[in-house]
Amino acid sequence: MRLSRFSIGRLFAGAAVWFYALLLIIPVYYLLVSSVKSNTQIFADPFGLPTTWEFSNFPEAFDRVDLGSALLSSATITGFAEIVTLLLAIPAAHGLARAQGKLGAVMERIFALGFLIPGFAALVPTILLAIAMKLYGNPLFLILFFPATAMPLSVILLAQFIRSIPPEIEEAAQMDGAGRLKTLVRVIIPMAAPGIATVAILNFLGFWNEYLFSLLILAPNPSLRTVQVALPVLVTQQSADYGLLAAGILMTLAPVYLLYLLLQRQMENALIDGALK
Amino acid sequence: MFRKKMTVSVSTLVPDQAIDEVPPPPRSGKPRRREGSAFLAVPALVWYLVFMIGPLAAMFVISLLNWPSIIAPGTWAGLGNFQRLFNDPTFWHAFGNTMLQLVIVLPLMIPLAFMAGYYLSLRPRGHRILSVLFFTPGLISVSTKAMMFFGILSPRGALNGLLQALGLDHLATAWLADPATALGCIIAVDLWSGIGYTAVLFSARLSSISGETYEAAKLDGATQWRIMWQIAFPIVKDFVGVTTMLQFLWTLFNSATIVLLLTKGGPGDASITLSYFVYDKAFISSQVGYSQAAGVVVFIVGLIGMILIRRLIRARD
Repeated sequence: MRLSRFSIGRLFAGAAVWFYALLLIIPVYYLLVSSVKSNTQIFADPFGLPTTWEFSNFPEAFDRVDLGSALLSSATITGFAEIVTLLLAIPAAHGLARAQGKLGAVMERIFALGFLIPGFAALVPTILLAIAMKLYGNPLFLILFFPATAMPLSVILLAQFIRSIPPEIEEAAQMDGAGRLKTLVRVIIPMAAPGIATVAILNFLGFWNEYLFSLLILAPNPSLRTVQVALPVLVTQQSADYGLLAAGILMTLAPVYLLYLLLQRQMENALIDGALK
Repeated sequence: MFRKKMTVSVSTLVPDQAIDEVPPPPRSGKPRRREGSAFLAVPALVWYLVFMIGPLAAMFVISLLNWPSIIAPGTWAGLGNFQRLFNDPTFWHAFGNTMLQLVIVLPLMIPLAFMAGYYLSLRPRGHRILSVLFFTPGLISVSTKAMMFFGILSPRGALNGLLQALGLDHLATAWLADPATALGCIIAVDLWSGIGYTAVLFSARLSSISGETYEAAKLDGATQWRIMWQIAFPIVKDFVGVTTMLQFLWTLFNSATIVLLLTKGGPGDASITLSYFVYDKAFISSQVGYSQAAGVVVFIVGLIGMILIRRLIRARD
């Protein structure tokens, strides 16, 4: 039942989609070959395979922007911010999922509106808040601030997940004498684990990839800068070495892509859930 | 049913159970303690209010102050900042650039992403690979994206190399340093990563439509093009609307980072956008109150834009 007028449009659509895919691949290819070339080689033949392999770009880029300590800084901030987010969001989501009064509805509404307030809107006052809290230059501020940016999505997504858990299961646990906390830890958290994983992945990406707030908050303390802030330092120095830059980019991308390889399905579902719900 | 606030301890609940059995509302066990459980969300809400809504509210106050630097105290300026802002040609230039950016990005990205998403949802050959490729730009941080394009668009980078290879040398230019192309580069980076990612979202949404819906239309002789726009699109229209709104907000507010890393608004102020204007005034020119007046304008533009997009989506019913 393949009519010809279907296939012409389809052929065209296929060509357009693959052309776009090519546009996505070419930069990645360019990065890969550039990362093992010198500037001279990159300029002479941007797309050719390297004639001599400059693997030294990797250690050199790593040392130049102190990627080791940047990775540690990023991991610390992301990890602790993630813990704070989940500690706040899980009980909140549980409470809202099971609340039936007006109060719960109003609070959920406030969180839902939060989707529409980009963090950047309050960039300057947030920096002033950090100064007022005497946490300017201190990664602790980012650990406290990032969870707030993630709260609307985390609470709403988790509440939706918890709603799908039959309340009877909780009630049974409570009849057996389990307190609220125990019910949460023993019943809700295990049953909502896929939802928690989704939220954790989304937050990981958001926190790990954040640039502007990290740049500004940690400005007085360059030794604590995160990976995202460290990478562009490779070019702000007068002479840009493109081979070094490409190596630096690949090393910055590595942790996220590694995680993607490990958790491909979960990560795709997380990003799709985060957008669709 | 129980208006007064109930205590939440389990021990008080158990004996109440029997009395509670009056008429249980459908699909819910114990309504009593449910009023109280919303209070569990208070810490999260307070956290959110302190770190997000508080600073946002402060922006409106700061916009009325004369604040020469981020560490010095401010003095009252009234509406002076706004008056100055509306007479500042740079501000209007940034405003125009942002409008241009929005008018190009949204009408290109949303329909193209919808069509690509529809195509993917038909599961053509290679759709798995395509989905992965389309999806992965969503994993890349803005700063990494900016650095990738810094290399590609540099005078001796990949783009000019490609043009040379194709014999189109005369088109080659210093893309980021040329006033004619700097803003275009910022827009292109947005489109490059945004179309694919949005397409994957649309395709996930569209895959919930059953194949039978399409089959019936096909038997009626509808073309694929008509099926896409007249059957698939109306089903996901609300989602397309939400995506358009989020993309609008993203473009409006978040261009500061990519502009900062690629062009710093230059050359001159060729590629300055509204959000970069706010950043520049606060952290480079140290005019905190003034920058926040611009911040208030961006916020209001965001509100108006959202209302307009909502109207547009509703009007097509």
